[in-house]
Amino acid sequence: MFPTDANVIVGLDRADDAGVYKISDDLALIQTVDFFTPIVDDPYWFGQIAAANALSDVYAMGGTPKTAMNLVAFPAKEMDLTILRQIIQGGIDKLTEAEVVLIGGHSVEDKEIKYGLSVTGVIHPARVLAKQNLRPGDGLVITKPLGTGIVNTAIKAAMASVDLTDRVTRLMAALNRDAARIMLNFDVSACTDVTGFGLLGHLSEMVCGSGTSVQVDSRQVPVIAEALELASMGLIPAGAYKNKEFREPMIALAETVPRALQDVLFDPQTTGGLLISVREEQADALVAALKAAGSGDAARIGEIMDRPEEKIWVV
Amino acid sequence: MKEIDARGLACPAPVLQTKATLQEDNPNRVRVVVDNAASQQNVQRFLESQGFQTQLEQHGADYVIMGTCEAASVAQPEPYAERQTAAKKIMVLCATDRIGFGDDELGLKLMVNFLRTLKEMGDELWRLVFVNNGVKLTIDGSEVIADLQNYEKAGLKILVCGTCLDHFRLLERKQVGETTNMLDIVTAMQLADKVVSI
Repeated sequence: MFPTDANVIVGLDRADDAGVYKISDDLALIQTVDFFTPIVDDPYWFGQIAAANALSDVYAMGGTPKTAMNLVAFPAKEMDLTILRQIIQGGIDKLTEAEVVLIGGHSVEDKEIKYGLSVTGVIHPARVLAKQNLRPGDGLVITKPLGTGIVNTAIKAAMASVDLTDRVTRLMAALNRDAARIMLNFDVSACTDVTGFGLLGHLSEMVCGSGTSVQVDSRQVPVIAEALELASMGLIPAGAYKNKEFREPMIALAETVPRALQDVLFDPQTTGGLLISVREEQADALVAALKAAGSGDAARIGEIMDRPEEKIWVV
Repeated sequence: MKEIDARGLACPAPVLQTKATLQEDNPNRVRVVVDNAASQQNVQRFLESQGFQTQLEQHGADYVIMGTCEAASVAQPEPYAERQTAAKKIMVLCATDRIGFGDDELGLKLMVNFLRTLKEMGDELWRLVFVNNGVKLTIDGSEVIADLQNYEKAGLKILVCGTCLDHFRLLERKQVGETTNMLDIVTAMQLADKVVSI
């Protein structure tokens, strides 16, 4: 056990998207940190993606991000500093878009570039949207299409078109802010953001300990169209296989789900969409509101079942 | 037999090496050695997507994938276009999932029957193209999916309009054929000796 105190609302024991600490009866802090190596060649876009990704955890908890600090690792002796400036500029521009202020940071000399941010936000202590609170009967909604991990693998292999690379870069840099704002107008029981564990990995985290099960209709899951073809050519990141292997015991995949689509369901995402459990009668309205606000691929993809097995059925 | 040692490499490098070898040498048989399960599955998938049959063996920590391609031509991008035969090239363009107007149920039955009977054209059937509502014949749940898949296995090139699939939001449900664009369709029309439009 890790040390804790009475004001910790969400801590290490829960493995949620971010930590939450109560300051007063009507104010809690949300804190999160994320950083990684470049996933696109363009440094400015990499900066934007890293910032959108770091901010996403605060949105997924239902909170409002306020401040951020940079985390930088850079080979300053071998590489041109303009690259670093572009990365940081990308991060700052994304923070500005999110109305978040950069108030500090730290950098170290390293052989490999790494960039990310620690983000602090605020939330009312009673309105924290936990991951493990699925409510039987709810509809399950996702706000972005899947497949960024597979497309990134294809980009590394120089097998993605310029157009596809461009589309997926923008998708990864897109903030989850507007989707989160809209979600808060609905009766939502649980939320997380889809990142490294893929859709089914993160859904497994929601299901574990919830006393409920989930049915996912794979035909409704929004997918970047090219990702299916790339998957059937074997351009699948190793992480997707690991995600599948790890969660296989609790997931029943119908044989009718095409193999490439199965891979996409486990594909690790960068700044993936929010995965939202919302009152059934409101699910279609939530999807419509998300679409109207720019999340054109938002879709209702399943339902929460009152079955204690804690399993996921994918049909 | 071409040998590819991709041990020590992470995805997607083993697939890229295999792809390069197929492009350079166009071999009938390949043997690829990798040392992690993800690369093994990816290489196997890639070979299968290129028309190879694969077999897997495990030697200690290594995975050995044997790929065999019965007809060397299958791995080539445009076997049918390149084949110089006396046979006529007939392209069939289906812009609907039903034949004729009137009774829809009858129209669908006729279309199913039409697609099944097309095989009587033999070698002269060169391209089967689906556009607009026709793309609905290529998705899961379509009555002719097995027939179309058999055509494709037999080497017929089936083209399915990507814009149309996207329009109906059926991209992920397509079960047969290559997703294509208007330029491919127009080029095919130009190369065909006869275009039959339904």
